[in-house]
Amino acid sequence: MKKLFPLHHVMGYLFSLVLSVVALSVVFWDMSPAVGMTILLVSATIQMGVQLFLFMHINEGGSKKALYTNIAYALFVGLVTVFGTLLTMIWGYK
Amino acid sequence: MKLDNTLPLEYRSEENSNRIFGFWLFLGAEIVLFSTLFAVYLTLWNRTGNGPSGHEIFEIGPVLIETFLLLTSSFTIGLAINSMRQGFKKATLVFFLITLLLGLGFLGVEIMEFVTYVHEGATLQTSAFLSSLFVLLGTHGAHVTLGLLWGGGLMLQIKREGFTLDTANKSFIFSLYWHFLDVVWIFIFSFVYLKGLM
Amino acid sequence: MKWDEFFVTGEPMIYGAMVSIVVATLAIIIGLTYFKKWGYLWREWLTTVDHKRIGIMYIISALLMLFRGGVDGLLMRAQLAVPENGLLDGQHYNEIFTTHGVIMILFMAMPFVIGLMNVVVPLQIGARDVAFPRLNAVSFWLFFAGAMLFNISFVIGGSPDAGWTAYFPLASIEFSPTVGNNYYSIALQIAGIGTLMTGVNFIATILKMRAPGMTLMRMPMFTWSVLITCVIILFAFPVLTVALALMMFDRMFGSQFFTMANGGMDMLWANLFWVWGHPEVYIVILPAFGIYSEIISTFSRKNLYGYKSMVWSMIVISLLSFVVWAHHFYTMGHGVMVNGIFSITTMAIAIPTGVKIFNWLFTLHKGRIEFTTPMLYSLAFIPIFTIGGVTGVMLAMASADYQYHNTMFLVAHFHYVLIPGTVFAVIAGFYYWFPKLFGFRLNERQGKLAFWTIAISFNVTFLPLFFLGLKGMTRRMYTYSESTGFGPLNLIASIGSVGLAIGFILLVYNIYWSFRYAPRDTTGDPWNARTLEWSTHSPVPEYNFAVVPKVNGLDPFWEAKKGGPALYEDKIEEIHMPNNSGQPVILGIIFFFFGFFMVFSWWVPAIVAGIGVLVMLAVRSFERDHGRHIPVKEILETESRLRGEQV
Repeated sequence: MKKLFPLHHVMGYLFSLVLSVVALSVVFWDMSPAVGMTILLVSATIQMGVQLFLFMHINEGGSKKALYTNIAYALFVGLVTVFGTLLTMIWGYK
Repeated sequence: MKLDNTLPLEYRSEENSNRIFGFWLFLGAEIVLFSTLFAVYLTLWNRTGNGPSGHEIFEIGPVLIETFLLLTSSFTIGLAINSMRQGFKKATLVFFLITLLLGLGFLGVEIMEFVTYVHEGATLQTSAFLSSLFVLLGTHGAHVTLGLLWGGGLMLQIKREGFTLDTANKSFIFSLYWHFLDVVWIFIFSFVYLKGLM
Repeated sequence: MKWDEFFVTGEPMIYGAMVSIVVATLAIIIGLTYFKKWGYLWREWLTTVDHKRIGIMYIISALLMLFRGGVDGLLMRAQLAVPENGLLDGQHYNEIFTTHGVIMILFMAMPFVIGLMNVVVPLQIGARDVAFPRLNAVSFWLFFAGAMLFNISFVIGGSPDAGWTAYFPLASIEFSPTVGNNYYSIALQIAGIGTLMTGVNFIATILKMRAPGMTLMRMPMFTWSVLITCVIILFAFPVLTVALALMMFDRMFGSQFFTMANGGMDMLWANLFWVWGHPEVYIVILPAFGIYSEIISTFSRKNLYGYKSMVWSMIVISLLSFVVWAHHFYTMGHGVMVNGIFSITTMAIAIPTGVKIFNWLFTLHKGRIEFTTPMLYSLAFIPIFTIGGVTGVMLAMASADYQYHNTMFLVAHFHYVLIPGTVFAVIAGFYYWFPKLFGFRLNERQGKLAFWTIAISFNVTFLPLFFLGLKGMTRRMYTYSESTGFGPLNLIASIGSVGLAIGFILLVYNIYWSFRYAPRDTTGDPWNARTLEWSTHSPVPEYNFAVVPKVNGLDPFWEAKKGGPALYEDKIEEIHMPNNSGQPVILGIIFFFFGFFMVFSWWVPAIVAGIGVLVMLAVRSFERDHGRHIPVKEILETESRLRGEQV
């Protein structure tokens, strides 16, 4: 059984469930939008890390540097697209 | 063929390790693809026209079920790869099957959710908000559907051939894909549903 | 749908085109059958996974598209040559400038660049093929399916007519009710998927398949430029994928993304289009920088000045290229803050670009310069491109841009960037690497004649447009009155465009003549060049290198020729090569029909074709193809035959 359910996988799973519950708190507790968004951003980012490192084994294999660069570049372009679009389409008119 | 026996089977040939690397690159492109869909959604989310808003149509119950199913399936596909690395064929197949069934369950709940929306008069054509919602969720759902077909095919191949350079490599790549879909769902869960209900 | 809605009718020019399409198709089919070449075509070309042949097919397609797009350009110039001209009506003119733009950028510049990367990159890094040869063939056939789908639009259903940028609401079903913009969204989508796969393939190739000893900082500059280009492709094309999908949903399924009511936001299209569109400009320009770097270094007989700064400037350009897109719509009405931010990022791009210009000049400095045809294009590029760049900085200033926006000044600017940048570069690269592929050089005298005709005519065509723009002539006007005073400069530009056409005809004649009469090159290194691709035979054998080279520094072949460490020390061993496959071309054909049915919203056949695509994917998943091995004896025979020895 131990071989089939290695500890770090089980921990990762439990951790991701806990993080989902933490994120859920924004719906049930009264809080300002800024605090709510911060909780969502932090919990989602940690969840992504759990998947990348514990489940997807991004840090194994011989091309670690290239893989990190790849993900970093993708996140850079993704964030620029999201926030740049919000800037030019919505915030820029205020 | 040069084989490096210190590595897990799925990395062992040069071709295999190139494929895994190439798939990571593809996932980089997928990150940008979903980011763009999020950019569209976040730009249009309060442009509801005459249609309902997210607060009016979102229900937390089905969303929690979906989240639980997908998180668990991401866990089980991880276990499948873990068993594969130890050469347990039967356990791998069982975990694969559980993963795909959970994925199927997710898809079923999502389709029911879509049907409910449409019954409430919230369709793709109603408003910019709903268009962006349906296309964002639909793109993720289409990825899950493709994953189900792909995973089913892989199960057949593992059953037939056991763990070879080919099947181990394909299974590992499939697991990357599946974990990635889980990550995307976390962001949908947080920034579509929870933000909408906040 | 009636037949006269399906085919475009009522235009003599279109009837002529229909007849010529039918005649050309028949001629090809009859010719192939008569000369019994079907089997050859299938075995050697349609099913090939060899990067060199795929490269050649890309380049041939690009040349064909150059002529299609060129005819569009000539028609536009003919219409504008004199005031109140009646050659084309407004609708026809709209379709022509739309297809001219789309074809030149996506179906000419991109495939030409990708064709050269296919041919050159594996050779420059000492690899036997790309990382995923089968995927490479899929990329080509998806590009080709998209290109053909886009091209049939002008006889079947009507071409898109909302500009190559397809701005909403003009491109919406309300204002463009024909299927034209359906073609746009679907043909570009199919070709775009192919391009994305090329990006993945070449990053993996360059990062994972280099010959031993070739560290990143020993890579030839063209390979570096391709690596950076592919990174931009990888992260920019998904944005286009989404934008085109949303366009398709709006036009075919009634969604409300870019509509004028129900919360839709028409400018969101422009935003998404340029989030992809600006990086796209760098996708076609960076490889050009790489090509020029190789050529200038070779024909100055010096190593490239400032190698590291060249690399870093490209990396900086690739990042900056993602943060400047809003400069394409300064006049949209967002506030000073947004325009200010994007003005600054845009002007910042001029810095790394300027670094490159100076590096080329310093490479030339004190070099023993040889004026070959590729070198002439490279030398002409530097000043002409600088004019394009400087006018770009003028446009980058948001407040000044209100004056230039959407005028002929802008048209002149981007032609001054793209033609000496990309077009001159691909022609120069074509002349430069042609002997590697075919084993002989193109005739230099004819090449130089074509060069001078093209370079001079280019300036005659596009320089007047700067002044027309400053006088207030807007782009995309299908005619103008005499009282505007635009007549004389327009006439000069139109005369120049005829010169350009003559130049390209000379170029084609140059190729034809050289195929028949040019002396064969047996050295494999006709230019006395520096990088690895010149160290193997011309034409290159299918396995590229009999022995994998060992690299000890920058410009390893040059160093080896000068008495440095030898490149080839190992013994010949059997070589593993991938097998040919018919699946990519079949997948391309299915995608073509899938796209065609989608354009006309014929759902049942579209679903059938869609299932066909899934079946092809499944077939590939269940296939086990581990390639083949070329035995040592066969390699030895090929090698001695290529050295010109009697076997």
